[in-house]
Formats: sequence, structure tokens, C-alpha cells
Amino acid sequence: MTVPALEADALGKRFGRRAWALRDCSFRLPAGRVCAVVGPNGAGKSTLLALAAGLLAPTEGTVRVLGARPAAARPRVGYVDQDKPLYQQLTVAETLRMGADLNPGRWDADTARRVVAGGDLDPDRRIRVLSGGQRTRVALALALGKRPELLLLDEPMADLDPLARHELMGLLMGEAAAHGTTVVMSSHVVAELEDSCDHLLLVGGGQVRLSGEIDDLLAAHTRVTAPATADLSPHQVVESRTTGRQLGAVIRPSGPLPADWRTGTPTLEDLVLSYLRNPAAPALPPAPETLEAAV
Amino acid sequence: MTTALATPAAPARATGVPRQWRWLARLHRPALICGGALALLTAAALLWLGGPLTDASAAAWKAYNACAWDEVCRYDQDAIILYKEVYTWTTAAVLAVPFLVAAWAGGALVGRETESGTARLAWTQGVSPTRWLASRLTLPALLVVVGSGLPAALHRWAWTAADGRVDTAKSWHSSATFLAGGTVPVGLALAGLAAGALAGLLLSRAMAALATAAVAVGVLWAGAHAALPYLWPSVTRVSGLRDGPLGSGMHVGEGVLTADGGRAAAPCFTSRLPDCREELADLGATAFYRDFHPASHYWPLQLVTTGILLAVAGLLTYAAFQVLRRTTGTARG
Amino acid sequence: MVDYRIDRRSGVATYVQIVQQTKQAIRLGLLVPGDRLPTAREVVEATAVNPNTVLKAYRELEREGLVEARRGLGTFVRRSLGAAPADSPLRAELEDWAARARESGLEREDVAALFTAVLETHYPEQAAHAAPAHTPQGDPS
Repeated sequence: MTVPALEADALGKRFGRRAWALRDCSFRLPAGRVCAVVGPNGAGKSTLLALAAGLLAPTEGTVRVLGARPAAARPRVGYVDQDKPLYQQLTVAETLRMGADLNPGRWDADTARRVVAGGDLDPDRRIRVLSGGQRTRVALALALGKRPELLLLDEPMADLDPLARHELMGLLMGEAAAHGTTVVMSSHVVAELEDSCDHLLLVGGGQVRLSGEIDDLLAAHTRVTAPATADLSPHQVVESRTTGRQLGAVIRPSGPLPADWRTGTPTLEDLVLSYLRNPAAPALPPAPETLEAAV
Repeated sequence: MTTALATPAAPARATGVPRQWRWLARLHRPALICGGALALLTAAALLWLGGPLTDASAAAWKAYNACAWDEVCRYDQDAIILYKEVYTWTTAAVLAVPFLVAAWAGGALVGRETESGTARLAWTQGVSPTRWLASRLTLPALLVVVGSGLPAALHRWAWTAADGRVDTAKSWHSSATFLAGGTVPVGLALAGLAAGALAGLLLSRAMAALATAAVAVGVLWAGAHAALPYLWPSVTRVSGLRDGPLGSGMHVGEGVLTADGGRAAAPCFTSRLPDCREELADLGATAFYRDFHPASHYWPLQLVTTGILLAVAGLLTYAAFQVLRRTTGTARG
Repeated sequence: MVDYRIDRRSGVATYVQIVQQTKQAIRLGLLVPGDRLPTAREVVEATAVNPNTVLKAYRELEREGLVEARRGLGTFVRRSLGAAPADSPLRAELEDWAARARESGLEREDVAALFTAVLETHYPEQAAHAAPAHTPQGDPS
């Protein structure tokens, strides 16, 4: 397990002449994690996942997937596109049969069937007539049936109702628990991923703003309320706002804080929003390598 | 990492391309049925044309020519008209095949998949991008060879059956007849397939790729038509000043030869006319000449044209694979 | 068997909720020594929480000596907790007290506040939990 599931080094992707979708991204995702790729729409999340899936070639830098080039790792990686593309003219059962045919030797028909069965889906219905949620289910069944070691999901829960979302997330977590599958899923809704993910990759403006274990990231930051005259300068300030005589801030303390400041641990959503609201805030350096060494 | 709950994987079936072909055929079943029906219908019409219709038309012409200047001439005019109509429509059908193939390849085969994202689905479902494209080119290429080759061969056969028997039969070098018969339609159709695939990959829009591929075939068609006379060395026939330029077939050029061995444009075409004789004398013309392709050049011209079209198809295919490798990073990853 | 309910708005860390609910089940006699806890997979399928969170909770319970992991078999309850199973005399007394509190016109909130205050007096500092510190992730199985 010393081989990271995903490792990017100065990764960049440009579309056309000028538009950089992603630039200078470096991060490392250990295997066995459930990672949330969070960021506003257009931040580069989809580009990052497509690069990892070997669907796009990087313009600069490198990305390693399960220790290999993305193209070489493709058989061991599952990917679900944001639009959940499927062949409209096939039925649900035919789609799963195609999955079995295209992934010889890897296909796990039981898992695929189980994912679809949860949705009360008639196997003889055509993909064309399915609802958004049902299509997501079939797309996930294809990706999970392949029994991937790394699962890349681009906005997987976007068009699901809360019940289906909870059920499918449970199913994903079950797969991760049973097979040690590394899951990477993007979303622009942080709350949706908070309980399910243990690793965070915050992408904003084509850059990786934060990367690491969620617990570590939260522990490294402090939410403080202090007098407006307080001097924050010894600490790294992510965000600070003065209201009247009071100052509220999210900081990365670089030493003990004065006793008269009220402090607390930010929630994940607080943390993400404070970084996104402040594009100038310094990116947190990647988590120390000791995490892998301990395993 | 434990895999205690792993279920036995599905048994591996026949590997590689044939398995993909089955799904390709399933995905494009309607097109396969329509295309097959069109090819068979055209083939049947050509058999009808080359057999009974040619016989009836030839008989009618024989009757017509026999009665020469008789006041009342009995001949089967309907047979002659029917032959002409069916010939025109079947020729149009054979000529349309490459355009249909290109439009289908650009629109449905590749463009729709790159537009909707199902191509990406396939690439992450155990089919590498290059194998995906290879399967999408090989099986259709085989079907296109059969689907365009059979009608084209029958067209040539039907034309040959009428040659010299039906007075209104087109000459071998009329452009529609030449480009609808022999091997050229196969070359054009294969180039259309490759053009469609490339357009689909580059544009990622089904309708745009469909139109672009069809236009590309149009350009190739026009190019073949324009370049055709120069694709094989022509024959030169020299004739006397009284006779004018002689030699029947596909004309390449004609004029007069001068005493110093040079060539010049002909101001007129026989020295029997006094004015013409003077003009020819002023030029120092010694004879007329004509560069042309006799009927025996039919196959060389067909094969060279087809060869060039196949080379174009090959280049377009190569370009399509290059585009795919560059976008997906398959080559260098 | 124990059915975990994760309350996202409670402000209590998810793994702590699992620890607390397991203890509660042991305390109430819903889980007795020898019972198997649900597997991580079963828990995450029902709750959609991260598998490592469940493993972390189980490790915490193991550290406290409440459960033990048997390789390949699962996690089993080792001992019971407290002296107040669901049908103990103490419970009967509490039931009795609660009935009297209600008769005397106390609202639900009043009773809860009273109970918490008494609890605080007799069990100081029990509720405090250490800040979540990162522990190395094990092999999810």
C-alpha cells in the first residue's frame, strides 16, 4: 500500500491556446482513502478526474495512477463521467452484458446487478427512458462491476434525490470497505461528502488549494473570535472579517494563541468556504509523508 | 487488502475485436439494416437493369433502327425510357453510397459517441481508445467494401451489357458512369469512412462531423473528376489536316502540330474550309493531334484513381489515430 | 444487533457517535458479551459514512477493552458495561421517579435539565472527548 492511488506533480492542462483548466497541481492521495474533490463549478475538478482516468493527456507535468501511467492503469480504474453517458438504444440488461463483455476476467456481475437492483429498475427498459437517478445507478453499476482499485466519480450524486443519494453513497462505502477501493469523487456541495470522505482535495481556479486528511486539515486550522485590534500577523490567515469591535478569522496558528481569544475547530464547510472566498490565501503544503510510512 | 467478498469473475469470453464487433453491430443495428437494404435494393435494380431492361431496350432500338424512314414505326418506346430512368436512378444510388457512409461515420459512428461521452465510457470500460477506434473502423470498412463494391461491380456489368446495343447508353467515360462503376466507389466510400471518423474525433459534434465528412467526400469526388484524365499516360493520335482531330474516348487535349514540332491550339477543325486552310497555313500546321484515353484505359484509370483514394483513406485513418493518441495521451501517457 | 443512527447536525464527531451508540447498546443489554458487531461494510452501507470512521470507532472500543477483533471473524463484545441492564432495579426506581416527576407537572425539558444537572454533579468531566487526533489507517477488512 505504499504506492499512492493518485499522485500529481506540477500537473497542468490547457484547452486551446490560452485557457488553462488546471495548472501546477501537485498532490498525493494514499490508497484506500475516500477523497472528496471539492471546488466551485469550473474549478478544474472534471479536468483533473479526466486526466487521472487517462481520457485527457496533460499539457504539462505528470499524473501517476496506482503507480502507473493513466493509460496503463485504465483497466484498474473505474470512471463515471458527470453526464453519465450510456448507450441510449440499449436496455439496462444489455448495458450490463456489454460491461461483462468489455471487461473480461474482471467483471463482477453480482455487484453490478446489486447496484441496479436497488433502483427498482426493470432490466428490459431502455436507457433512453430512464430518469437521471436511474441512469446514475446504471453508470455506477458499470464502473463498480469492473471491480476497480481506484474509482473516479465526477459529480456522482448530482441528480439523485436524498434517499437514493444516501443509498448509493452507502453502497460505495460498502465497496470501499469490502475491497479497499480508493474512491475519488467530486462535488460542489461539501455537505454531501462530509461524512463519507476522509481526504480532501480542494480545487479552486485551476489550482489545488488544500490537500490532505480531513482530520489533519481541520486540526491545522482554528476559528478565532478576537477584539478588532488583535494582531493576527504571526499566524497564517486564511480569512478574517471585522464586524464592529470584533474580528472573526480562520487561521493556521503558528504558535500559542492569546488566552482572551475565543477559539474553535472550523467545520469542513467553514474551512472550504473560507479558502474559496479568499483566493489569495496560501495553499496548505501537502500533508507529511509519515502517513504512508505508518502503514 | 482482503477480497473475502469477491465473487468469481465472469468467465473470459472470446477476446478482443470480435466481442467488440458484436456490440458495434448491436449499437448500429438500424443503420446496418437500412444500409444492407439499400445495397440489396440497388443490386437488385442493377440486375434488372443489366438483364431484362437492357434486352428490352436493345430490342426496341433494333426495331427503331430497322424501320429507319418508314412513316409508321413500331417499337417499344416505353422500354427505352424505362431503361434510361432506371440507369439514371441506379447510378445516382451507387454514387450516393460514399456520401452516406461518410455521413454515417461522422454522425453516428464516431461523432455521436464523442459528443455524448459514450466514447469515454468505452475507454474506461476495458477498451483502450485505439482499440475502440480500430474496432469502429475495421468492421465498417469490411461492410463498406461489400456494400459499395457489389453495387459498383453490378453497375459496371450492367453498363457492359448495354454497350453497343442500347443507343442511348452512356459512354464509358461520362463522369457519372465512370465514377459509379468499377473500383472507384469502394475507394471513395472507404475515404468517406475515414473522413467521418476523423471529423467525429476532431469536432466532437455529431451534426458538424456528419456535414464535414459529406463535404470532404464531395471534395474528393470533384478532385477525382478533375484529375482523372491525367492519372494515366494518354494516347496521342495524329491525323491529317483535312480530317480534323480523331480518336474517341476520354479527351485530354487537342490542337495542331507545327512544322518545327511544336503544338498549338487549333483555330478550326478542317482544311476543307478555305478560311480554315489559310489559318492553318499561317500557323505552319502540319497535322491535327488529339490526346485521349481509349476504352482500354478504363481499368488503369479506375485502379490508379482507387489507389489514390485508398491512400487518402489511409492518411485520414492515420490522422484519426494520431488525434486520439494526442488527446487521450495513449502514446506517451 | 445495533443499528447506528448518525446525526449530522449534532456537532459530535461521527466516530464518537458510533462509540457512544455501541456503549449505549451494551449498557442496555442489546449487545451482550459474545455478540458480533456489524461489519464495517454493513455499517457503511446503512449509514454512508466513511469506512475508516467505523474502523476508528471500533479501534476506540477495542482500546477501552469493550470489544475484541478476531481476525477474519469480526469484532465481538467482550464485556458488559455498567450495572444497569434494561430490567435492573435501578431502572425501575428511575421509572418510578420519572412517573412521579410527570405527576407533579414537570415538563420533559425540566426533567432533562434536572437529570443532566444531577449527572454532572455525580459524574464530572465524563462527557469530554479528546480532540480527534489522526491515527494511522489500518487495512480495511
